[in-house]
Amino acid sequence: MKKINKFIVSVFAGSILLSMSACVKDLLDQQATTELDNNAYWQTEADAVGGAMAMYNNIKNVFHKDYFFDGHGDYVRVRAVSSISSLGTPSNGGAYWTGSTSGHYYPEGYGSSFDNMFRFLYGGVNRANYVIDNVTNMLPRLPASKENLEGIIGEAKLMRALVYFRLITMWGDVPYIDKIVVNNDDVISIPRTPIEEVKNHILADLDYAFEKLPASRSADQKERVTKAAALALRGKVNLYWGSWNKNGWPELDTFTPDAAKADQAFRDATEDFRKVINDYGLTLFRGGAPGEIDDLGKAETLPNYFHLFLPTSNANNETIIGFTHGGQGSGVSDKLMRDIGPRETESSEVNVSPNYWLADRYQSTTTGDFLPPMEQLSDRTQDAKYAPDAATRPNSALNPQTYVGRDYRMKSTILWNGEVIQRLAGLQAEGLIPYHHGKQGVNNGVRFIDYNSGTNSGYLFRKFVRNYAGQGREEGNMTWPVIRLADVYLMFAEASNEAFGPTPEAVTLVNKVRARGNLPGLKPEKFANRDLFFDAIEQERIVELVLEGHRAFDIRRWRKIEEIWGPPNGSGKFTTNTWGNNVTVYFQNKNERAYQQCYIFKIPQSEMDRNPNLRQNTPYL
Amino acid sequence: MMHKTTKLWLGKLGVGIGFVFHSFGLLAQEINEIKPTLAVTKITKNSKDGLLPVSDVGQQNTRITGRVLDSAGEPLGGVGVHLKGTSTSTVTNVDGNFVMDSPQRNGILVFTSVGFLSREFPFSSDQRVVNVTLQPDMSTIDEVVVVGYGTQKKTNLTGAVASVTFDEKLTSRSISNVSTALNGLLPGLAVNQSSGMAGNNSSTLMIRGLGTLASGAAGPLIVVDGMPDVDINRLNMQDIENVSVLKDATAASVYGSRAANGVILITTRSGAGKKPSITFSSNLAMQRPTNGIGFMADYPRSLMVHRNAQAMSASANAATYRYGTIEQWMALGMIDPIRYANTDWFDVTMRDAVQQNYNLSASGGNDVSNFFISAGIMDERGLQIGNDFARYNARINYDYKIRKNISIGARVTGNWSNYTFGFNEGFTGGSSGNAYDLRFAVAGVTPYDPFTGFYGGRSAYGEHTLVANPLALYDHLSSKRNQKQLNSIFHLEWEPLAGLKTRVDYSLNYSDQFTVNANKAVEAYDFQNEAFTGRWILGPNVGISNDDLNSYKTMASGRISYDKVFAENHQFSALAVYSEEFWHSRILGGSRLNRIHPSLTELDAASVDGQTNTGSSSREGLRSVIGRLNYAAFNKYLVELNARYDGSSRFYKGHQWGFFPSASVGWRFTEENFLSTIKDWGISSGKLRASYGGLGNNRITNSLYEQREVLTSFNYILGGSAYSGFSNNRMINQAFSWEKVNVLNFGLDLVMLNNRLSAEFDYYERKTAGMADALDISMLISGMYTAPRHNIGEMSNRGIEGNFTWSDNKNGFQYRINLNASYNRNKLEKWGQLLLRGTRFIDMPINFVYGYEDMGIAQNWQQVYDATPQGIVPGDIIRLDLNGDGRITDEDRKADPHTQTNMPHTNFALNSSFSYKGFDLNIQLQGAAGRKDYWLSNYNELSIGERYAASWDHWNNPWSVDNRDGIWPRLNSTAGGNRTQTTFWLDNLSYLRLRNVQVGYNLPEGILRKVNINNLRIFVSGENLHTFTSYRGIDPESTASMNDVYPLLKSFSLGLNINL
Repeated sequence: MKKINKFIVSVFAGSILLSMSACVKDLLDQQATTELDNNAYWQTEADAVGGAMAMYNNIKNVFHKDYFFDGHGDYVRVRAVSSISSLGTPSNGGAYWTGSTSGHYYPEGYGSSFDNMFRFLYGGVNRANYVIDNVTNMLPRLPASKENLEGIIGEAKLMRALVYFRLITMWGDVPYIDKIVVNNDDVISIPRTPIEEVKNHILADLDYAFEKLPASRSADQKERVTKAAALALRGKVNLYWGSWNKNGWPELDTFTPDAAKADQAFRDATEDFRKVINDYGLTLFRGGAPGEIDDLGKAETLPNYFHLFLPTSNANNETIIGFTHGGQGSGVSDKLMRDIGPRETESSEVNVSPNYWLADRYQSTTTGDFLPPMEQLSDRTQDAKYAPDAATRPNSALNPQTYVGRDYRMKSTILWNGEVIQRLAGLQAEGLIPYHHGKQGVNNGVRFIDYNSGTNSGYLFRKFVRNYAGQGREEGNMTWPVIRLADVYLMFAEASNEAFGPTPEAVTLVNKVRARGNLPGLKPEKFANRDLFFDAIEQERIVELVLEGHRAFDIRRWRKIEEIWGPPNGSGKFTTNTWGNNVTVYFQNKNERAYQQCYIFKIPQSEMDRNPNLRQNTPYL
Repeated sequence: MMHKTTKLWLGKLGVGIGFVFHSFGLLAQEINEIKPTLAVTKITKNSKDGLLPVSDVGQQNTRITGRVLDSAGEPLGGVGVHLKGTSTSTVTNVDGNFVMDSPQRNGILVFTSVGFLSREFPFSSDQRVVNVTLQPDMSTIDEVVVVGYGTQKKTNLTGAVASVTFDEKLTSRSISNVSTALNGLLPGLAVNQSSGMAGNNSSTLMIRGLGTLASGAAGPLIVVDGMPDVDINRLNMQDIENVSVLKDATAASVYGSRAANGVILITTRSGAGKKPSITFSSNLAMQRPTNGIGFMADYPRSLMVHRNAQAMSASANAATYRYGTIEQWMALGMIDPIRYANTDWFDVTMRDAVQQNYNLSASGGNDVSNFFISAGIMDERGLQIGNDFARYNARINYDYKIRKNISIGARVTGNWSNYTFGFNEGFTGGSSGNAYDLRFAVAGVTPYDPFTGFYGGRSAYGEHTLVANPLALYDHLSSKRNQKQLNSIFHLEWEPLAGLKTRVDYSLNYSDQFTVNANKAVEAYDFQNEAFTGRWILGPNVGISNDDLNSYKTMASGRISYDKVFAENHQFSALAVYSEEFWHSRILGGSRLNRIHPSLTELDAASVDGQTNTGSSSREGLRSVIGRLNYAAFNKYLVELNARYDGSSRFYKGHQWGFFPSASVGWRFTEENFLSTIKDWGISSGKLRASYGGLGNNRITNSLYEQREVLTSFNYILGGSAYSGFSNNRMINQAFSWEKVNVLNFGLDLVMLNNRLSAEFDYYERKTAGMADALDISMLISGMYTAPRHNIGEMSNRGIEGNFTWSDNKNGFQYRINLNASYNRNKLEKWGQLLLRGTRFIDMPINFVYGYEDMGIAQNWQQVYDATPQGIVPGDIIRLDLNGDGRITDEDRKADPHTQTNMPHTNFALNSSFSYKGFDLNIQLQGAAGRKDYWLSNYNELSIGERYAASWDHWNNPWSVDNRDGIWPRLNSTAGGNRTQTTFWLDNLSYLRLRNVQVGYNLPEGILRKVNINNLRIFVSGENLHTFTSYRGIDPESTASMNDVYPLLKSFSLGLNINL
């Protein structure tokens, strides 16, 4: 009996011990099953590259929908932003979400609506800091990889510079953070750093990047930034710094313009751009040749400029800083088609369309100068400008013949009555179908582009809209251009014009850009003096860079809002359409404050509430 | 506080049974005479007195026979039977039978037994069969209550525990799950059923108000036979013996970390101390909806509603639906129902629901072992076509004493269910994305034409292509979910010394849920134009998806307990437990499009193009050390100390452990000599209780790995292919840890008026601290990091509970009336960061009523001008400018600090039962008060456009110049505050519900004995028979979205219980 008891006792004690000695190993230390543990990363050079990739992925999200910003300008209308998820996820366009489906990308009244952009731009700052700090920590451990690791730090610093540059162009002075933030308390009370100081940090980052980045990369790594990117961005920062010092930024009351600083900045910009242009063997897409153009109403052959904005041309030699997208199934696609394309391209939405004024901007391939403004007449009896022969009268905006012999970039960029586009449905190409303002669906046996309520000008965009099948409206794989060579040419021209006046070097570069529209070179009177040459450069920027998110930033640094829309408390200006109707009026009876609120953006109110040391921009006080 | 009330109720019925026996005296006599051999008669004399010599049965003696039963109708053995005034006595045998040879012809027998009130019963030469039922002595009974890791004497209980025994009357009800069955039975337990959908009709349980804001964590911990984390809704109701609800810290703190929101302990039946028997029960219920939406089955009239709506803003010739269409439909609808349908969709898509329950069980036990085995089927045919649920349960409970001091036992139960449904909520509700099946179910759609086999779509000129055809949907949507569970627990207990027990438990719970979704394509047909409308109700390439959710949970625990009585009056008991719990779950899913044939529903029978798959697993661990100390002095002064120390893998290292202690005292004041006068007032037993302690909740983490430092994967495309990378997305607050609840409880238990009335009162204060919220982080970092979460909130729930039971027995008429009620006030006490204007605010209950006040419907322009400008016209609701600033802004909303929109502050129920001569009647009334919500659903939408189905309310109610008495604002109006949360739409969701009426009849035992049946009861029962409420929506009990319209069911059932 005693033996039995002993046996039982031992069995019992054993089983209790068993239950005590953890049936499950590390019971309280359960690792996440689908996420990578922190400690497992930042060990190898490959990890550093991966960290940089994650940074690109995230910073892409604050630039890839810059076409919406064109709505703040005068040549593009953004009526809706339905391709953006309001959920706040940046990859769905959350940075561009303004809390409203429309209106905040109109030419006026937007300045207080970019809280999300502010937030996600700082997200980009933190992503870059995260790479910079972690890779810096790796340097002593991996001496053999020093060069590559420093190159990655250079990439991250360039990205940080890019993001801070966007921040200062919108908000002026902004808090400057240059290391990993581990605690909210670290940032909750920091003040805004004066714009000049931020600019100097940006330039310092770009100096580092220029020093450490490679001059070129292999074909499969081409989208990663190089020395040319650092220079191009440094030039652009200098150019803007020059513009602000030259033109002033009265809404940023901590900033005092200084003509001498302006001059120096323009000179520095000129130098940087010149290096970009000369030192790295960069060329315009397809050598800057205009390519072939089809007849009116045909689109079998489209000029080179159109092809530049297709994913098939991602591997061009012109894009200096660009953000890639992955296409179908990648989870990182662009939504250009959904926003820009019409209903006939995979049920897209015409969220973005040209304003009428853009059409008259396309010059004659014969004279190289503007043509007489088109006559706006309507073929609809209900309109004031009704004319029975509106569609056939010479120089009528409704007469396709009016568009003959213009800048090749026109056919590449917009659709007017009678122009055709490849119909795409269910990932199949279904033939070319015409556009006619106001006609929808099948008319007398002809199918027209449907769902045109998206445009109110009589034009649609062709630029960025794929003309081949196989991808849905949110499945694009376009590399979104942030800085490309044509832009650098024009920025060089602008900077050097500001610093030295028109020079043959600058005129040649502007002419290279014009040549891709099959336009002849500028006539001498177009660069007779600094102001005339500036106008020629602005004209090129308008047609060359439309829909790429530059115009609104240009208008602001050039302080041109009043010039475009009329002075404060005035009648404003109506946008119009091909029928000659007034469409929408902007800046009507708008006081000075409304103008100021376009020149500078509002520091997010919630951040003001959190941080007592933040100061609001004056127009929002 | 222990409510053995239900047992008492059962007891009363037992008396009823006894009375039946008594009434059928002859039969009873027969029974006793049938079994003389069983009756171990034992005649003794009082040898101490030695007054009477032992004598053989003589002529002068009268032989008295009889049987003693307890109040539950169970035979009582060992009952002393004493002839008053003499020393003649005997005791009953195990069957409760006794035989006594009395020297007197008349006399009085005195029956005594420990724990029962003694009873005197006369006999005479005319009545020599004495059948007696003894009532339990509530003041002395050593009634045992199930508490965590053991049992306790009820008298020594100092915590707040409510308990109910599941008896025949409860398990006979046609309720498909245990959670719903608990409604109205236990004070402090709020039960809310939101849907009558077969397979989806369980209730949410909440103890003493909302204790946490963590989603899905406000419910109590369910512990079945010592196994935590059992799905209460998959238990077989017939297997349940008893349910205890642990409400305060003392009662629950042995489950410390998991008990913040209370614990429900469920004990299943065992065969201990029972004669072997077999029980069969069945129940068949016909069910109908309690309510529905009054859609008009009159298309022309609903088109007129649209016209009326459009007339508010557009000229007559711009109307979508032309007069010609309407009149044509009105005329032809009477002769051509295919082309001109006037469909009553509720009629088409609903059927009589049927619920069937069949259960077979056997149980028995002796000194060495006992068993309970059962198998049951619960089958529901849903109200909605295409909705069915069937569940099969089986159980084996077994205990065996392998040595005098060693016992083993097992509880093994399995269940299996098949669930067929279309949409998750049956009819699509608020949480479904786009298939507004009922909202767009216009009457002018032909459901189905058997001749052509087509399902109808829009056909009227101008009607929207996207009108719904619910029949087509419910016929073609098909999800089938098969769920299997195995829950088992094994124990080994050893008592090396008297009072010292050690025990190990191991439990394994396994669950698998497999869902196959295989919808079928269906296209809408236009019967007027004899062509498809182009609308695929379910697209041509509908695919198939499989989702498997597989999980297991293990628990191993070892415990040592010691009970000892010192110096006669000092009872000590101590308990120590060590326990480890581990959860593992795995999901695997896949889907494909383009099935090769609609009748094939397996993944391999579909195209591999566009296939997707998902898979993941998760693990969680919990380690606990538990201690309990009880001390009772002189059976009067009671002290209990508890503590539990828990470590959870959900938190960051160093912040994983939480300590949850509690203490309580009790005072049985009726045992004090100096208070003995109380007994004279009719209070036979009274106890004061007080407790205070802490409990925890670890389910405040958003995910199991929220506190892990992990990286998120981000791809970037280089050279056309994806390059993988990682970045940090998560900022971690390492200190984020347990949510803690401190509970203060005062209680008073009374037994009064000769045990006829028992009353329990409780007052509590539950303070939740450390409620979690995402830290409001700077925008300078929120663009990269999700905000870490902090323990920053405090909330309180204060309330009172009362439970009163009156039971009595008069001339064989027994009745029991129980009234229980609870009242709870919820208040947010503290929030560590800014709270913006909204329904969460300091010093207010969570989800308080917050909206505009209305001034009625503007009848004319003058009223519009007189009111604060708010963009309205006559026919619109005028909102009150509460702050008088001349504008209507959201600052004009008024908060009601007393009312919540999602839960009532008062729950109450009246349970009554009556029995007489084998007949029994049970009535349950249950209700709730103190909840208000805005009645704004998809179905009273005013802006009624194309394809919106119109209800009779839309026809009758909207204000118009022709209907100035209209009780709704004008149609087609979203202007002003017509559809905002104004008092205009604020409904009181108080209700009183006649939840159950049951009439049963027990066949006389005598008759049954002849066919060897112990007991046979037949009954009819009705559920949810009527609801009194002023709420205008579907159901005031529902806490689901108001767009969910699967109504609760009203049912009538017929059933049978047989015990062999």
